Amino acid sequence: MRKVWAVIRREFVERVRRKGFWFSAILGPVFFAAVFFLPALFASSGGTKRIVVVDDAAAAFGERVTTALNAGPALRASRAVAGDGVLDSLMREVGAKRLDGVLILPDDIVTTGRAEYRSSNVSSLRDIQTLESTLSGLVTAARLERAGVDPGLLTRARQGITLATTKISGSQATGESSAQSFSLAYFMAVILYMAILMYGVNVKSSVLEEKTSRIVEVLVSSIHPFPLLLGKVLGVGAVSLFQFLIWGVAAKGLLGMRAALGGHARGFDSPIELFQVPHVSAPTFAVFLAYFIGGFFLYSAMFAAVGAMSSSEQEAQQAQQPIVYVLVVAFLSMFALLNDPGSALAVTLSLIPFTSPIAMPVRWAAGDLPATELWASLALLAIAIVVVTWVAARIYRVGILMTGKRPNLRELVRWVRAA
Amino acid sequence: MTTTAVRLDRITKRFADHLAVDDLSLAVPPGVIYGLLGPNGAGKTTTIRMMLNIILPDSGAVQVFGGNGTARDHSERIGYLPEERGLYRRMRVLDVLVFLAEMKGVDRGKARARALAWLDRLGIGEWRARRVDDLSKGMQQKVQFIATLLHDPSLVILDEPFAGLDPVNAQILKDVVLELRNGGVTVLLSTHVMEQAEKLCDMLCIIAHGRKLVDGPLAEIKRGHGGQHLTIGFDGHGGAAAVQLFADKRLVRKVDDYGQYAEVELVPDADPQDLLRALVQAGVRLSRFELVEPSLHKIFIDLVGRDPGHREPGEEGVGRA
Repeated sequence: MRKVWAVIRREFVERVRRKGFWFSAILGPVFFAAVFFLPALFASSGGTKRIVVVDDAAAAFGERVTTALNAGPALRASRAVAGDGVLDSLMREVGAKRLDGVLILPDDIVTTGRAEYRSSNVSSLRDIQTLESTLSGLVTAARLERAGVDPGLLTRARQGITLATTKISGSQATGESSAQSFSLAYFMAVILYMAILMYGVNVKSSVLEEKTSRIVEVLVSSIHPFPLLLGKVLGVGAVSLFQFLIWGVAAKGLLGMRAALGGHARGFDSPIELFQVPHVSAPTFAVFLAYFIGGFFLYSAMFAAVGAMSSSEQEAQQAQQPIVYVLVVAFLSMFALLNDPGSALAVTLSLIPFTSPIAMPVRWAAGDLPATELWASLALLAIAIVVVTWVAARIYRVGILMTGKRPNLRELVRWVRAA
Repeated sequence: MTTTAVRLDRITKRFADHLAVDDLSLAVPPGVIYGLLGPNGAGKTTTIRMMLNIILPDSGAVQVFGGNGTARDHSERIGYLPEERGLYRRMRVLDVLVFLAEMKGVDRGKARARALAWLDRLGIGEWRARRVDDLSKGMQQKVQFIATLLHDPSLVILDEPFAGLDPVNAQILKDVVLELRNGGVTVLLSTHVMEQAEKLCDMLCIIAHGRKLVDGPLAEIKRGHGGQHLTIGFDGHGGAAAVQLFADKRLVRKVDDYGQYAEVELVPDADPQDLLRALVQAGVRLSRFELVEPSLHKIFIDLVGRDPGHREPGEEGVGRA
């Protein structure tokens, strides 16, 4: 229908023309960039730290520690023998920032496993981790040696293992590692939550604008309320997909840049390992898109009803609270879902249509799930969309022409039942 | 043409706690300016909304262009200016007009050309690329008026078109309305400003409390109102003496004193000469003593029983559910 098309085009063109659209179009990738780049930048920003290892002259252990630390890229260690005033003068050096830290190794470190690190900055996780792993490796080796174990055997015994994690989906390896699955699920949840909320609210304000300006009277004398609402939702939905397209292109570019930058961050157990570049398979993309579109329709219908029953932005803010809460619950449940994607809670949340648009894609990304559950969830979502849209459209039809105070629940029921 | 442009057949609309429109019937023939008059809260806007199929009557039938379809089915032929004005504030003037014309089934190119022509004609052509909220209120009203006419409707429904217009813009609008009528367009307008209606309307219907009080051609309504009506003008002072004479219930039935002149309705079989003689004897200097038709204003007040400017709050519009 040509009129619906005109409504869609107006919503799309007017929104895309606004500064706000480009603001979030640009801010989105900046946000991604922050999440992807910052850990890498923070992790590699410290540069090389200069530290002094202080131990008893008699023990050879300090020498070993110093050598081992210097083998790594992050620290430059030198050795000092403990004595009167040595520690005090080193502390003054640290205080004057000529030295980054002092590692104190007591004589009995091998037995007690206790050491001390004094630094102006003890919150540098990377440095602490490096120190800890180096010390524990060497202490373990020293203990075994004392117990008469051959150092050669020790080296062979310490040969590490590498655990490669690959997600299996429908008995096929997907090429997604567990870290990738986590970051994928996380990002899908964040984007779904933000997009459904943002564009749902857009539908609401569009309805409200037409209502408060009374243009809606002219519109509904020319077009039925339902196609009007449909055009509005489709138009705003098209804006959101356009926004995704921009984000997608930007993210691809950024990820390419990150791969080039990634070299700096190798070798540390930094958070960046958790946020690996997810490999987005076609089915994953399809699930994401299906639930975004479903969730968007479901929530925009409700937001449209909110807009129609309110007569000011403030009223609408209040009226939309219950809807926003449901969405927030769906979003927060993500963390529980990621811990155990197969739990009863997870299954329930991914079947309930009001939470499934976020819960199901998260479960999908986090681990394999039965196809029947996916289809059941989609079917329930589809039914919910039909029912909720029907109710919302009826509230919309009556509400857009109403003035005066916001209706209570009983009046709403009457609106829905009105012929 | 013999079919009516709009026919209402015993329509009734009840909102939660009051009857907005009560068993109202009227017929608007094509090619006339038809006035729907009534005090605030009489049910004018509700009636118009039912005509336009924006809301449905609880009972009764609405017929447009003599056919079966609703006004929405004929929306390409109907222009509607709602009582409460409003446009998309953040859209550009030309875009709003093109969009609203599209809603009436006009294609974009044609809508654009017509919108530009109308904007120029009403003297706001240079504002076409500006945002609606950059425009003054008067200019916004013009834009909305243009939106009502862009699709060349054959029925134009204007709800309180003169409300809030300055005299210059009211004049422009009046000229356009007359031009439309002369071009064969049916114009239905609601108003509570009797002077406007009296000058403009060929036919009218007066309603109050949702009920029809009278309808028909203006001249007929005036004739049918009956009684002898006088307009008496005073020359200088003397109004005080006249007021005493007007209190004479044997001669005067009703008086509407404006200070400089008075509209007087005589008791049915009284002789105007008696009143003239009495006035002259009382030494009132007259500038005018004229037997006239009752003004629409007078008819309206007689029928409605109170001043049309009297507001009854919260009744106009759809009301509360």
